[in-house]
Amino acid sequence: MMPLRKFEYEEIGEGRLVINLGPQHPSTHGVLRLIAELDGERVKKVLPIIGYLHRGFEKIAENRNYPMIVPLTDRLDYLSAMSNNMVYCQAIEELMNIKISERTEYIRVIVLELQRIASHLASVGFFGNDVGVTFTAMMYTFRERELIINLFETLSGARLTYNYIRIGGLREDLPKGFENNVLQSIDIIEKKVDEYEEFFSENEIFRRRTQGIGVLKLKDAINLGATGPVLRGSGLKSDVRVTDPYTIYDRFDWDIITEKKGDCFARYNIWINEIRQSISIVRQALNGLPKGEINVKIPRVIKPEPGEVYSKIESPRGELAMNVISDGTPKPYRLKIRSPAFCNLSLLPTISEEGLIADLIATLGSIDPVFGEVDR
Amino acid sequence: MEIIAFGVISFIILLASIGMVASKNMVHSALSLAVAFIGIAALFISLEAEFLAMIQVLIYAGAVVVLMLFAVMLTKRDRESPR
Amino acid sequence: MEYLLSLLVYLSNPWVKGLVGGIGLALAIAGSIVLLLWVERKFIGRLQHRYGPNRVGKFGILQLVVDGIKLLTKEDIIPDAADKTVFKLAPIIGFAIAFLPFLAIPFSETMIVSDLNVGILFILAVSSMAVVPTLMAGWSPNNKYNLLGGMRAAALMISYEVPMGLAIIGVVMLTDSMSMVEIVKAQEKIWFIFPQALGFVVFVVAAFMEAARLPFDLPEAESEIVQGWTTEFSGMKFAMLLFAEYIHSILASLLIVILFLGGWHGPILPAPIWILIKTFIVMLILMWMRATVPRVRIDQLLNVGWKVLIPLAMINIAFTGTARVILG
Repeated sequence: MMPLRKFEYEEIGEGRLVINLGPQHPSTHGVLRLIAELDGERVKKVLPIIGYLHRGFEKIAENRNYPMIVPLTDRLDYLSAMSNNMVYCQAIEELMNIKISERTEYIRVIVLELQRIASHLASVGFFGNDVGVTFTAMMYTFRERELIINLFETLSGARLTYNYIRIGGLREDLPKGFENNVLQSIDIIEKKVDEYEEFFSENEIFRRRTQGIGVLKLKDAINLGATGPVLRGSGLKSDVRVTDPYTIYDRFDWDIITEKKGDCFARYNIWINEIRQSISIVRQALNGLPKGEINVKIPRVIKPEPGEVYSKIESPRGELAMNVISDGTPKPYRLKIRSPAFCNLSLLPTISEEGLIADLIATLGSIDPVFGEVDR
Repeated sequence: MEIIAFGVISFIILLASIGMVASKNMVHSALSLAVAFIGIAALFISLEAEFLAMIQVLIYAGAVVVLMLFAVMLTKRDRESPR
Repeated sequence: MEYLLSLLVYLSNPWVKGLVGGIGLALAIAGSIVLLLWVERKFIGRLQHRYGPNRVGKFGILQLVVDGIKLLTKEDIIPDAADKTVFKLAPIIGFAIAFLPFLAIPFSETMIVSDLNVGILFILAVSSMAVVPTLMAGWSPNNKYNLLGGMRAAALMISYEVPMGLAIIGVVMLTDSMSMVEIVKAQEKIWFIFPQALGFVVFVVAAFMEAARLPFDLPEAESEIVQGWTTEFSGMKFAMLLFAEYIHSILASLLIVILFLGGWHGPILPAPIWILIKTFIVMLILMWMRATVPRVRIDQLLNVGWKVLIPLAMINIAFTGTARVILG
């Protein structure tokens, strides 16, 4: 067990209580251990202890050939597996200067945006769970997520870890009737998102529990390396799809959602509105979907020149990036992942000072870490 | 009939009071005090003063004992004193 | 047959009436808990877009029985550093105190175990005593989660008592008597929810707090402090604490029906059936709120209890008093 370095050598103040929100907990999104020093109900210090899901991903990747790593990347941020596949394949394609076909680009965008919708639906559901609506919100948002997951099942055969986006293209082409299914599902989701917004935002108790809680100032957000909805919730209009456009995102027309306040309610609003923007992007992409080949000709053994690449995308949680260093062999020399949930989680001690325990849980829910990514 | 009731109730009150004074643990004393208060309320009922009995339970066993328990549980004690 | 009917005359003897009534009530309440818990699980399941339990028994009816057997056969763990006497006593006392108020509740004009002439005060007094076993259960296991949950539960319980009492004063002012039978009899012409609308609102919020139901279910806020004040209790002790809380919520709904919704008055059906129907509807509303509404934070709840409900209840008393004096 990791020693409690910080608390062992520091005096615990008078009348303070140290509690352990342990790794098994009905509400910490995965295995996270939080050691909280409380003064009554006020949280004075929080120390997150992670590493319970560490599987040695980066070390394993050093012993595998490049195409063998694609299924491994699925398991990083398991709630949005397509994004992980995408960042890895994008890195390798950049390293080897592979130009992929138009149809693949469009399909990748459609799949990524659908994945964003699914992940945000899960985030909203879990957030409602943390605030106290026992499972009701989760049941309803997961019903919509099922629509998207069933679509992905027709694409790739799996419901959570898809292994669909490959180096140089995709696993296989879209099945018959996929476009119509997507359009139908999106119509249903669009109506339901309005319902969910009404369910949460008009509820006085929900607003009291989330407005003004876990406020993150813009200066702190930039200095501590937050990205994604956490950063946009504090007011900075920063989205990798716009600042460093990848694939064909510059052909579509959508807004970046930002909120000014930086509290939990703002972050939740960003999720809901980003679902709407993703729906519009999917519609635009389906409109312009060209015909053609999916996969391009790439060498049988992938052996990039010695070099280094850093490629980043906007995953539903923030800026997900991969740094691949190759040395001319079929196995990478080093694969480093910059995971957004890890950097966002490091904000937790700063923004939960002087709050109550209930606020700590709500803040953790609004940052929404996924521990496959945090621990790798 | 009334004499038997009086005897039994007084016995309970006496036991509770002795328990409260002689117990080493403060939470046990507070709880014995609650029993004593309820016994006194029973005595009030036997004197046909029901209203007073209910007020006694409401105020004493419901609020004063709770106040004492809060005070015992929320203040700091020395390490050597028993729990 | 005539022999059994002739025994009924003994029921006028208060001793026999108390004994038979008490045992009968205990069995009836136990039976109704099982039924109501099944209804709750199915109802909340349907509200959450899923079936409730439907494997055990025809519609999942035997699920509660099976759950009870499971809890009975679990190991009864007593932590080493716990205060053993208080630890064992807390569920027992909690369970017993939960049953007591039912002795003064009228199910019809004659069906009442003991018609005290301070009936409503008795119910209020015994409910207020329910704080003590909660504190005992929070303190004795010597565990931080228990302590946090116990303190929260005790704070919640003392904040509802004063508004509840003040709302009851409004009703008592309209009936001139504290006996439960008189209160229901006085609602023959018009149910008290209409003249005492403000008192009704205050009483309903205070009753939700007493029942420790969402939105006020901090004591066992699952997503925050694991199981709250019942964390260290296992097996039958946990079942007793759970049932005690559920009985509090049944009592709260019964009180709402008797004080404000007309008690047993109703057109065709006999009196006890009306009370049961109305209580069932109020409990359905409680379950509905449990499935839909998020949880209130402790300081917001104390705010509501002390700074909002008490002034509203006092305004209600002043208004009722002046109306009574003016209209005679």
